[in-house]
Amino acid sequence: MIVRMRFSLILLTISSALAQDAGATRADWAHYGGTQFSWRYSALDQINATNVKALTPAWMFQTGDYAENLQATPIVADGVMYLITARARVFALDAASGREIWRYQYPELPRNIPGFIGSRGLAVSDGKVFFGTKDDYMIALDQKTGRQLWKVNVDDARQCGCNITAAPLVVKDKVIVGGTGGDGAHRGYITAFYTKNGRLAWRWYVIPGPGEKGNETWKGDSWKFGGGAPWLTGSYDPALNLLYWGTGNAAADFYDAERVPTGADKSKDVNLYTASVVALDADTGKLRWHHQEVPDDLWDYDSAYEVLLMDREIRGRMRQVLVHMNKSGLTSVLDRVTGEFLGAFSVPEVRTWIAGVTEDGKLVGRNEPQLGKTTTICPSAAGAKSWNSMAYSPRTGLLYVPVNELCNDITPNNRAPEEGRNYMNGEFPVKLAAGRTTYSHVDAWDPVTGKRAWSVAYKYVLLASMLATAGDLVFTGNPEGEFFALDAKSGNRLWSYQTGAGHRGSAVSYAVNGRQFIATPTGWHSSVVGAAAAALFPDQDWRLGSTLVVFALPEASR
Amino acid sequence: MKRLMAVLVVAGSCCAQNLADVVKQGEQIFAKSCATGYCHGVRGASSGAPRLAGRGFDQAYIATVVSRGVPDTGMAAFAGRLSRPALVAVVAYVATLNGITNPAIGAGEVASAVLPGPALTGDAARGAELFKEAVRGFGRCSTCHEVDGFGISVAAPIARVPASAAALKALATPSVKTGSMDGESMPVLVLSEGKQGAVFYDLTSAPPVERNTPPGSVKFADSSAWRHSSVIGAYNDSELAAILTYLRAVITP
Repeated sequence: MIVRMRFSLILLTISSALAQDAGATRADWAHYGGTQFSWRYSALDQINATNVKALTPAWMFQTGDYAENLQATPIVADGVMYLITARARVFALDAASGREIWRYQYPELPRNIPGFIGSRGLAVSDGKVFFGTKDDYMIALDQKTGRQLWKVNVDDARQCGCNITAAPLVVKDKVIVGGTGGDGAHRGYITAFYTKNGRLAWRWYVIPGPGEKGNETWKGDSWKFGGGAPWLTGSYDPALNLLYWGTGNAAADFYDAERVPTGADKSKDVNLYTASVVALDADTGKLRWHHQEVPDDLWDYDSAYEVLLMDREIRGRMRQVLVHMNKSGLTSVLDRVTGEFLGAFSVPEVRTWIAGVTEDGKLVGRNEPQLGKTTTICPSAAGAKSWNSMAYSPRTGLLYVPVNELCNDITPNNRAPEEGRNYMNGEFPVKLAAGRTTYSHVDAWDPVTGKRAWSVAYKYVLLASMLATAGDLVFTGNPEGEFFALDAKSGNRLWSYQTGAGHRGSAVSYAVNGRQFIATPTGWHSSVVGAAAAALFPDQDWRLGSTLVVFALPEASR
Repeated sequence: MKRLMAVLVVAGSCCAQNLADVVKQGEQIFAKSCATGYCHGVRGASSGAPRLAGRGFDQAYIATVVSRGVPDTGMAAFAGRLSRPALVAVVAYVATLNGITNPAIGAGEVASAVLPGPALTGDAARGAELFKEAVRGFGRCSTCHEVDGFGISVAAPIARVPASAAALKALATPSVKTGSMDGESMPVLVLSEGKQGAVFYDLTSAPPVERNTPPGSVKFADSSAWRHSSVIGAYNDSELAAILTYLRAVITP
């Protein structure tokens, strides 16, 4: 009986592995999102629900860069880990021992480069290591030596007020990257360079210029400074040769009189292609289709987040879908071939910005901030989920999401835009949603049914990415410094380790010589959302830091 | 030079009460931005960046460096980042650190001596916008030239401004050479060449790419077919004329 059960389990595992081959990582963690399907899911199962309690630190690496702490997703290829810090110090480490192989240090920047210092990751491909910088350069290093091979400027940070904090995405012979600046008077774009020599391949502006389709969704010249910055990393489907990217909010964030054409119908697209998911031809950067999630985004709910690609049966038919959440926690499921809207669900328990969503994806009952008034809006502009990623396990069919129950009191203003300067046009202090005592929860959601399978409350906020594994475990960390594992099926906490500093980064799993490792960046985020969150809990001392902590099962127990 | 002279001319022409206020304001701005981090330290005593106190700097020099920055160092151009009165105040404060007890604080005079931007009018003002206009993407002048704190300093600072759009298009650019590598030839600006290899800007397409190549892998030959005309197609002649007017207004030969 036991033998038969095991046999059927293996069969099940094999068939699902074949169907879902492209989304799972194995020995390597090759891309920002694990694979370019962005599941943050490892097929490794050496560490599992039964033995995870024995998980113990194998090695640690102190980066020495405490500028803005360690947020990056490490990349692992052939037993070597590549790690980038906030100030673009790049390390190649032996992924089994932590021994340093090479290091690279980007020059210290002038203090007048506006924006935020920070790096969410790098990309490794074509024998090179690619990353962006605060002063808007794309850099390629030699993967073996760390020697700089090329460097190209994407924009003048002093003028655009924009930076590159996202990990690039390498597709075939191109390295593709977005930038920040969507809360400033700036016009966002995605730029592709040839990996070989750094020459420009294409650039796609989020906001169409005069004469281009979509420009008519902007009032007057507002398209020039209308935001939309795609400030995170997209996904790629090689079979369709399509890039999927989330775009940022329209600017000004909380005030729309200067950017929305008079009489615009907000049940249709407004301010294209901000707050949207777009599908671009990977070779040319040409727009294939779009789905705008928040027409006339007046809440700073930009849709810049990760895009998960998966194949799921929906209403009796196998579909190639993408799953995408924006800051409001509204999560859309689209046909990734055509962009057809298939469904949506909302993850925060407190929601006041809309009453709901129609079956064809239209927002109903918009609760818009008004000039001259203060309006309480939930969830907050800090996000029902922040930029840290969710994870998806094909074994459970569930998405794992850290959800924050924050609101903000938005008071808009009508200040005029100044190129490259802040153009949020509002005050928006963040607070706990009314009637609640806990600030967050880790949830498991079924993207097909839109139902929550389980939820585990947490007293403070959660701002680290999720990692799911075939051991049916879900890993993440909290600001108090605990890195912990939950049972993917029930949410029960199975293991926890106090790493000594808060978590704002993205854990990964990989294997070297058959030994599975779980690696997590540590160090609390000291600005933007991290600072706003910390301000809510003045009695808490969430520690900064910049250490990568790597766990494995003890050698003897494997 | 004429513009810098104006600073010296107005020195000492302002009222004492106001001067104390302005210097005080400059001290506060200095403490908040210049003295912080790894920069100039408390009262300019240095904390990584050069010491600024007791260096014998004159006010014109201070004003130029503060507003235009020092290329390839951490010293950025503050002309676009601090307001004009704030710049005047900081310059006056740093002057006092250098034994100048009565620095010029006539905002108009100091500003017009060292600051671009608001002081420009007509074609020069329009040219300043065109020079770095974001909608032109990589087709704008600032893709390769840094002027008054904006743009990327790929080319050496502009020393002489061509007389006309036609002259700009025909301008000889002897520093642009031809690089040959892997059977491909490309227009290049060489930054260094030695035992460690070569570092050069590849000007094949905009934006230029700074490339590092191993020793012996690239060969450079003098002269190139590259001309400005191949990269300024996004501008018409009237726009180019306005840009040249702007450059003449801000660049001191």
